[in-house]
Amino acid sequence: MSNSTVTQPAQPQKTLLSGLTRRFRQDFQTYTMIVALVAIWGYFAVATEGSYVSPQNISNLFRQMSVTSLMAAGMVLVIVTGNIDLSVGRLAGYVSVIVAYLQANTWTTVFPDQPALAAISSVIVGLSVGTLWGIAQGYIIAYLRVPAFIVTLGSLFILQGLVLLQTEGKTIPANQPVFSEIGQGYLPAELSWGLVAVIAAFLVFNMLNGRRNKRRYGFPLPALTVDVLKIAAYTVLLVVYVGVVNSYSIAPGIPYPVLLLALIAVVVTYVSNNTRFGRYAYAIGGNRDAARLSGISIKRNIFLIFVLMGFLCGVAGVVLASYVGYGTIGAGGGYELDVIASAILGGTSTLGGVGTIPGAMIGGLIMASLSTGLQMLNAPPALTYVIKGSVLVFAVLLDVYLKRNDS
Amino acid sequence: MSEDTILEFRNVTKEFPGVTALSDVSFKVKRGEIHGLCGENGAGKSTLMKILAGVYPYGTYSGTVLYNGKELKLQNSAIQAAVREGIAIVYQELTLVPAMTVAENIFLGREPVERGSIDWDRLHSETRSILEKYRLDVRPQDVVRNLGIGQMQMTEIAKALSEDAQVLILDEPTSALSEVEIDRLMEILQTLKARGVTCIYITHKMNEFFRITDQLTVLRDGKVVSSQPTAELTPEKVVGLMVGREMKERFPRGARQPGDVILEVQDLHAEWAGREVLKGVSFALRKGEILGIAGLMGSGRTELVMTLFGEFANVTSGAVKLDGKPVQIKGSQAAMRHGLGLVPEDRKRFGLVLPQSIVRNISLANLGQFGGSLAVDEDSELAASTRMAQDLAVKAPSVQVAVGSLSGGNQQKVVMAKWLLSNPQILIMDDPTRGIDVGAKYEIYKLMNALAERGIGIIMISSELEEVLGMSDRVMVMWQGRSQGTLDTREATQERIMTLATGLA
Ligand SMILES: Nc1ncnc2c1ncn2[C@@H]1O[C@H](COP(=O)(O)OP(=O)(O)OP(=O)(O)O)[C@@H](O)[C@H]1O
Ligand SMILES: [Mg+2]
Repeated sequence: MSNSTVTQPAQPQKTLLSGLTRRFRQDFQTYTMIVALVAIWGYFAVATEGSYVSPQNISNLFRQMSVTSLMAAGMVLVIVTGNIDLSVGRLAGYVSVIVAYLQANTWTTVFPDQPALAAISSVIVGLSVGTLWGIAQGYIIAYLRVPAFIVTLGSLFILQGLVLLQTEGKTIPANQPVFSEIGQGYLPAELSWGLVAVIAAFLVFNMLNGRRNKRRYGFPLPALTVDVLKIAAYTVLLVVYVGVVNSYSIAPGIPYPVLLLALIAVVVTYVSNNTRFGRYAYAIGGNRDAARLSGISIKRNIFLIFVLMGFLCGVAGVVLASYVGYGTIGAGGGYELDVIASAILGGTSTLGGVGTIPGAMIGGLIMASLSTGLQMLNAPPALTYVIKGSVLVFAVLLDVYLKRNDS
Repeated sequence: MSEDTILEFRNVTKEFPGVTALSDVSFKVKRGEIHGLCGENGAGKSTLMKILAGVYPYGTYSGTVLYNGKELKLQNSAIQAAVREGIAIVYQELTLVPAMTVAENIFLGREPVERGSIDWDRLHSETRSILEKYRLDVRPQDVVRNLGIGQMQMTEIAKALSEDAQVLILDEPTSALSEVEIDRLMEILQTLKARGVTCIYITHKMNEFFRITDQLTVLRDGKVVSSQPTAELTPEKVVGLMVGREMKERFPRGARQPGDVILEVQDLHAEWAGREVLKGVSFALRKGEILGIAGLMGSGRTELVMTLFGEFANVTSGAVKLDGKPVQIKGSQAAMRHGLGLVPEDRKRFGLVLPQSIVRNISLANLGQFGGSLAVDEDSELAASTRMAQDLAVKAPSVQVAVGSLSGGNQQKVVMAKWLLSNPQILIMDDPTRGIDVGAKYEIYKLMNALAERGIGIIMISSELEEVLGMSDRVMVMWQGRSQGTLDTREATQERIMTLATGLA
């Protein structure tokens, strides 16, 4: 045995290479998924003779992933605690039809000709409905101890009924000014560039701050070049993305829903890594008994996770209504499949305890990439389902196989 | 290889990412002997045995293992292959299925089958005959989840015995057993030896080696430092070989002055699942005192401390007083608010989140200490956890590795670190040194003394009488859910404790 007592606080940063291989092992699935994503894009780019990677399509692709990926961010935490939520798609759908109904019928009489006020009210109601539903589900699951699978399955049925009731089988328009900006608008091109600059500055500030803190605690610092390269890589990605979407002549700029998704993904990532609430979720999923004996309230934590999930479904529902421009009986149907698949493709373990939000975002992007690509190739919808399902199983199979060979 | 050598390791090397667990291990095991294997936590003992048991199959290590004169090549379902070769193992970490009964566990994977369906009658009767033959104190129909860890260990042993093996490997089989059960096991091993079964025996309890082993191999840092007849050795020599330096005393003496009573338990009765598990327990703990709790398996020691922590039985009568005020503790959160800490007995089940890093495990019960009310300051978390890991000499390539990849003893140190960091007023430790090597035990004892000197009251359950006598100020002895009496350690002897523990007084 060559290792000795832990003498260094952080990972001994022997060589740049060994550090990188270690990281690579850790985030294995994430990297495999990035490779898969690039391969998928490459294939569709060739098959569609380049139109797949046109600014228009890239702009749409990210916007398309936003509704399900918003929910996938919450789903990661739900699955990490060893639970599941089958009702997310229908909850978002229900929120979308309620919001559409309010937009089309209620606000026009309550405050006519005030589209901004109407939109704000819709957002508030939408988020509240989602959150309240989450509170109810969370209470039944955490405090009354009915398994999440059953509660959310029941919920799926109930919501299906509520959607029918709300729409009366009709399509409700939700394409009013201001409100439709939420799902269809763009951050103007100049502001998009400005945002990139702000983010880059923040990353630099954050790095310097982190290094200062590490030094204060006497931890060995990672090489400055590594930190700088990391920031450079993120910035380049952002610049490329904004460069591409800004060159989409009809509607330049970052789509608002993508911006919203990015914001929520960052916040939920932070919550999951750096707050007690998030840490506890991973501990509960990893070993419930040990978590309980460490003084963690399992009930409260799981309850709050379902509340968060409900809130995110509310957000997704509002975006959905605005993005498609109407509420229908079919709203959100089957989205739960994409949401769960995104989380799992991103490395979330169905056994609990393991999973990351950035991983789920890549998973969501893969799902959306497959959908749009196959659509552009005019593949029948049936094929889309078959391919998505196969990709999911194959990806997990590959991961299992690679991990086994690793140890 | 001569006739009477059953097993030979030749230059066996096994590496994990970042760790060389075994390097160039060579030694022989004679047919029919009891061969002891000892070394510090993380020396590579379990890893070597897992190679024999097929957990690490042929090709995942280098070097050769000769078994009955032929090279042992366990491949493709290597674990079953090892069983077929006649190699049985009791793992250090329990491997039972909690939801199944003792009988089902013993025959798991080898269920007797009659025309395609399991022959339950035979399964139960064979289990009963094994348990009776070796006089093991568990019942075939008990569900494993409801057993104490000592009984689980008994079940594991019964399972290995039922395989009628040529080579029986026991990896710390007695870590959770008390004296009486250990005596039982020693007898069983003698019987097996008389029948020609070869046994490889791992323990951290030095006296056991000298009671039953014929030959002793010492590992240090994955290398063999000595392999010789036990008769040529002394406990001091073995410890010297293990840790590479002399150790003068086993128990450091602290200069502590116990103060006022901080915890008082009066005639506590408690019930769980309709059964009375505590039938009258009374004791008092003072500030700065180490109170030992002794008792046999099933005497209610663990039930008592889990109940005090609010995580087990329902109190039906009696009182618990903290600083003279009666309290009712409902759950570990409340217990922690009252200043209690609990190092639980079963580290894998109650102590650790195995896939998470050392840092995250140590900080889990203590996140409130780092940063504000919401966010966790990762730098101070890392600093504090690292300090604890160093104080307890946790052996690992880095504090960021998953706890699941550590050796058993080092996992135990991580649980200790977690609770030491939580700064309790009263620290309850349920067999805290289970599976910890002599050197590290000494460090833990020193820490306990330091805590007691700071005025913290410590309750220590231990199955090792020597440890109880060596470390505590007073010893409470339990028998069948009752406190049988409290002895001052200065006047207590192993005999007096055993008399109380077996209900004879
Ligand atoms: N699955 C694994 N992955 C990575 N490292 C491992 C793994 N299993 C064991 N190790 C490492 O190999 C070394 C030897 O471990 P092993 O479990 O054999 O020790 P041991 O002698 O049985 O110790 P103990 O007395 O604590 O049980 C340790 O440093 C441990 O961290
Ligand atoms: Mg071991």
